[in-house]
Amino acid sequence: MREVAIIGVGAHPTGRFLDKSLKELAYPAIWDALNDAGVTPVEINVAYVGNSLGGLLTGQEGVRGQVVLQHSGITGIPIVNVENACASAMTALRGAWLEVASGAADVALAVGVEKMNVGDSARTIGALSAVSELDLADMGLQFTTSYAIHPKINLKARMQEYGWTRADFAKPAVKNSYNGSLNPLAQHRRKLTIEEIVQSRIVVDPLTLLMCSSISDGAAAAVVCSMDLAARLGSKSKVRIASCVLQSGVYRLPDDGRPDSATTSAFAAYEKAGIGPNDLDAIELHDAMAPAELMLYERLGLCAPGDGPKLIDDRITTLDGRLPVNPSGGLCSRGHPVGATGLLQICELVWQMRGEAGARQIEPRPKVTLAQNQGGLLLGQDSAVYGATILKS
Amino acid sequence: MKVLNPANLRIPTERGQTPCLLGSRCRECGNVVFPKMPVCPDCHRNATMEEVELGRTGKLYSHTIAHVAPNGFVAPYFQIFVDLAEGPRIFSLVGAECPVEVGVLEDGMEMRLIVEQVADTPERKDQLTYKYIPADRGNGSPA
Repeated sequence: MREVAIIGVGAHPTGRFLDKSLKELAYPAIWDALNDAGVTPVEINVAYVGNSLGGLLTGQEGVRGQVVLQHSGITGIPIVNVENACASAMTALRGAWLEVASGAADVALAVGVEKMNVGDSARTIGALSAVSELDLADMGLQFTTSYAIHPKINLKARMQEYGWTRADFAKPAVKNSYNGSLNPLAQHRRKLTIEEIVQSRIVVDPLTLLMCSSISDGAAAAVVCSMDLAARLGSKSKVRIASCVLQSGVYRLPDDGRPDSATTSAFAAYEKAGIGPNDLDAIELHDAMAPAELMLYERLGLCAPGDGPKLIDDRITTLDGRLPVNPSGGLCSRGHPVGATGLLQICELVWQMRGEAGARQIEPRPKVTLAQNQGGLLLGQDSAVYGATILKS
Repeated sequence: MKVLNPANLRIPTERGQTPCLLGSRCRECGNVVFPKMPVCPDCHRNATMEEVELGRTGKLYSHTIAHVAPNGFVAPYFQIFVDLAEGPRIFSLVGAECPVEVGVLEDGMEMRLIVEQVADTPERKDQLTYKYIPADRGNGSPA
């Protein structure tokens, strides 16, 4: 396997863009990435395009990747459409990485794009339900619910077990809203307080509106190539993909003692990259609901069970901390256009590692970073997809 | 009326029988799963799964009230996970006879299966599915 570098990234601002189609959202992200990498469309050998809800929400069920890329002037090459729920873009990146790592391609493009605002939020919620197995979606299971009471996370049970309060649940959102306030690409740029988060209306008990990522449009892209070629191209960035792990969920019987899939995927990524959680300098993680960040601290090996809120109280995961988490603002503030999120995480980490993150720049520049991503729901108590990508500079 | 997922639910045709879910049990390792699967997700052997009736009763594992709803559902509504007596932990809904209020359900309580329309909405009123209610409801005991 060849070593692979990310030589260019780009993102469309995240938010509500009712008048923009998938291809219009993707176009600036793709060209920002191409320009950043210093390559033109004819130098791209292969592309992977991640999108999750476009079939149901826009009606463009097939060939979304070809439609999106033709609009950006990229045609005639192999284009692979990727649907993997909220991990679609991460899966697209993995495809591009493997193409280059294997030697099949020299330069590959990964794109993630999502259009969720269609003027009918119940239709969008319904489409989100459909990234669960249909037996679950048909019964009205909502994604928000999966965080509130689903056995894999069960925040209500954590309140009992750890003594976590709604104020604890709000802490990641407070931290991330500050980070988001410094990010010009973020959907929500207002700093929030614990009080207003806890007092915002209940969506699915115990989750309130401001603890949940919102309906979001956006796009992100990355150009990858071999490390040798990156040197020849004189690329300004030498961010290397040290590992890129994709896992699917497993059918879980109640209390069967199998390790959590977010844990196994992250630790597989650590091992392949030859690092441990203590070596990380920054993390972008999948806080689709703010308190999930507290659970993920445990599962990524950052703290003991129940100690999540302390990492924020002790300012370890804040922007000025030893291990900043979600410097972009995360899914709740930066935004969660589901099929673009995995690459939005990568964009943020690359900008941070190059020292290009502006007002939210982490100092000193992070050298080893993790993007953690997951999505979908299966019968049998697990998410459908788990991803962990480690970058080194 | 149509059954939402007929393969998952057995509605009795004779008096005296009660409805139940249909799952699979692995002859080799004894695992019980819902819905039915042809391959055991634990030991991964093929053709070891037998159809079993299950889910007439269970214990409430967790519950919440959703205050937003996709099309075809009306908020607020209960969403629950139930530990079936036979093993699987499944997602389900709560019978319409239970008022959607805090304190009506308590984790750990005994539940029993009922069959009713998915939701009282134009989209879902003609679909039957399995739901759960507290076991002591409708049996003459206080609800």
